[in-house]
Amino acid sequence: MIELHGIRKSYQSGAQTLEVLKGIDCTINKGELVAIMGSSGSGKSTLLNVLGLLDDFDGGSYHLDGNDMGGLGEKQAARYRSEFLGFVFQSFNLIGYKTALENAALPLYYQGVSRKERQKQALHYLTKVGIADWAEHLPNQMSGGQKQRVAIARALIANPRVILADEPTGALDSVTSDEVMGLLKEINREGITIVVVTHENEIAAQCDRIIRLKDGRIENPQAQHHV
Amino acid sequence: MFDRDAWLEIFHTVLSNPLRTGLTGLSIALGIFILVVMQGLGAGLEAGVANTFGDKASNVMEVRTGNAQLAFRGRKPNRRVALHNPDEQAMKEQLDTIPAWSRLVFRWGSTVRYGNQQGSYNVRGVDPDQREIGQVSLTSGRFLSPRDLAQNRKVAVLGAQLVQDLFPKGTKPSDVVGEFIQLRGIQFAVVGTFNQAGSRWENRSVYVPFSTAQKLFQNDDVVGRVTIGTGDAAIEDTREASTGLLFWLKDRLVVHPDDAEGVWVNNENEEAEMFRQIFSGIRLFVWFVGLMTLLAGAMGVANIMAIVVRERTKEIGVRKALGATSHAIVGQIIQEAVFLMLVSGCVGLLAGTWLLHGIAPLVEHDFFSNPRVDFYSALLALGILILVGVASAIGPAVRAVTIRPVEALRDE
Ligand SMILES: Nc1ncnc2c1ncn2[C@@H]1O[C@H](COP(=O)(O)OP(=O)(O)OP(=O)(O)O)[C@@H](O)[C@H]1O
Ligand SMILES: [Mg+2]
Repeated sequence: MIELHGIRKSYQSGAQTLEVLKGIDCTINKGELVAIMGSSGSGKSTLLNVLGLLDDFDGGSYHLDGNDMGGLGEKQAARYRSEFLGFVFQSFNLIGYKTALENAALPLYYQGVSRKERQKQALHYLTKVGIADWAEHLPNQMSGGQKQRVAIARALIANPRVILADEPTGALDSVTSDEVMGLLKEINREGITIVVVTHENEIAAQCDRIIRLKDGRIENPQAQHHV
Repeated sequence: MFDRDAWLEIFHTVLSNPLRTGLTGLSIALGIFILVVMQGLGAGLEAGVANTFGDKASNVMEVRTGNAQLAFRGRKPNRRVALHNPDEQAMKEQLDTIPAWSRLVFRWGSTVRYGNQQGSYNVRGVDPDQREIGQVSLTSGRFLSPRDLAQNRKVAVLGAQLVQDLFPKGTKPSDVVGEFIQLRGIQFAVVGTFNQAGSRWENRSVYVPFSTAQKLFQNDDVVGRVTIGTGDAAIEDTREASTGLLFWLKDRLVVHPDDAEGVWVNNENEEAEMFRQIFSGIRLFVWFVGLMTLLAGAMGVANIMAIVVRERTKEIGVRKALGATSHAIVGQIIQEAVFLMLVSGCVGLLAGTWLLHGIAPLVEHDFFSNPRVDFYSALLALGILILVGVASAIGPAVRAVTIRPVEALRDE
């Protein structure tokens, strides 16, 4: 599903160049649940953003479901994102003045789906993540776990092949973290590839495989820690 | 394009900071309001002036005589200069083309009587061309004819005010034709009536043949005034003609070339041109002030949109991550700006229109009539609002486009 060869990425800050990714080779197969771990600043978020087409890369090649993602224009990137990818963020990133239902429905809005159909779909996915009762609530009326469920429903609604989650449980307590992780595993069982960036070993341990980043490279790429 | 979600976004923007939105909206509304009101007042002034001076066509020259101030060729200073019939004849002969020509003797405060009713009105002895020169709008019958002049007939054309004052209530103008009135004690047959809309002075007038008036109401052959139509001659030509005519008249009537009072030729073309220039100046000024106020409002909107974009950087990043194209984001921002512009603009437009309609009946003055909002100006103002709205959104929209989703999503 995802194939990376020699992915490089550096940031220019003033006169200095900070090389964050120094050549990442890895393959993530369809249906896998993969954790990315590594110390703070090791480039986990950077890698995930490259995977999510939210940021471009300086060198190497990236194939998503066989399509070359090199040098995409903004419009094409937006299209691949809405067709292939769903995102879950540590800080949820829900829109504050929209209800849970409207938040979950937002990706379909940009695909030109009718309002009625959007709401039907949104309700379906809110039911699936277990918070249909909260459909008409605003984010500030919900707990962190509930917000993350809305975000997962929003990631699912466009029917993505891959879900990219950057520390989805980073802002949650351990009980809620387990619930959210359970939900992601359930989704993964339905065949959706999931990549989770995490700091927590308990979370990583529930994944099929762990990719460890260190100094912008994958640690010990031959034996990629099959759990 | 304008579905429920788009409206929701717009209301969120507008309501998230009501004070800021209100103040900006107010400055736009004020801009349009000022534009509409000043434009309306300008139009009212123009219409009023046109009515007041509109008792004759503007393509005419007027020849009048007065008191010569300077001694000349043995004549004493401070003497009355008069234009006699032979002078008038000679003047007519020395001009080559004359589109229209009307002499005038004028008797104001003349008693006019019909039955038991009588009043004091203005009598004007004129030529048939006066109909064209004075743009007389007949309501019944006919105007004076060459034959009336040739035969010194005692016929009269009555202004609307006389018809209303002297004849029984409900008398139609056509009923008046054929009746007889007493004009300064002499019986005249009414052959026509006229009504100059909005001009009280005109409607208190009676037209009679020049020759009749000169014979009956004065004991000399003095011509009070001559009005010469200039047709569609260019303003430069009329200027030249009036200068030439004045030169000729001064020689003929023995008036010193530098004498400003003995005889003069008023070129109405020039006066009309002057009014035209004054009013186009006023119009320009009105639009300038209105546009400046609008511009201030537009900057306010641009500012609001810039703040909105800054406040919502993260949200825009999220939307992009969820598949929003720059196109969609820009569209949303422009919609919001135009919406803000249009709503405030319409408020200003309505308030201005309302004010003008409210004051119109209260202010009825000779120089001011029927102030109104001209439909095309209103349309133009709205068009400008939309343009300015779009323009004010461009800066913030470009900023929104450059927001990269990664940067927006970074947690600090
Ligand atoms: N836009 C940027 N400009 C400059 N440097 C950046 C930028 N984004 C990230 N970096 C740097 O790149 C490095 C990797 O950042 P990244 O966010 O990928 O780390 P991370 O592994 O996700 O860390 P954490 O666990 O703290 O989230 C860091 O040193 C960071 O300071
Ligand atoms: Mg990170």
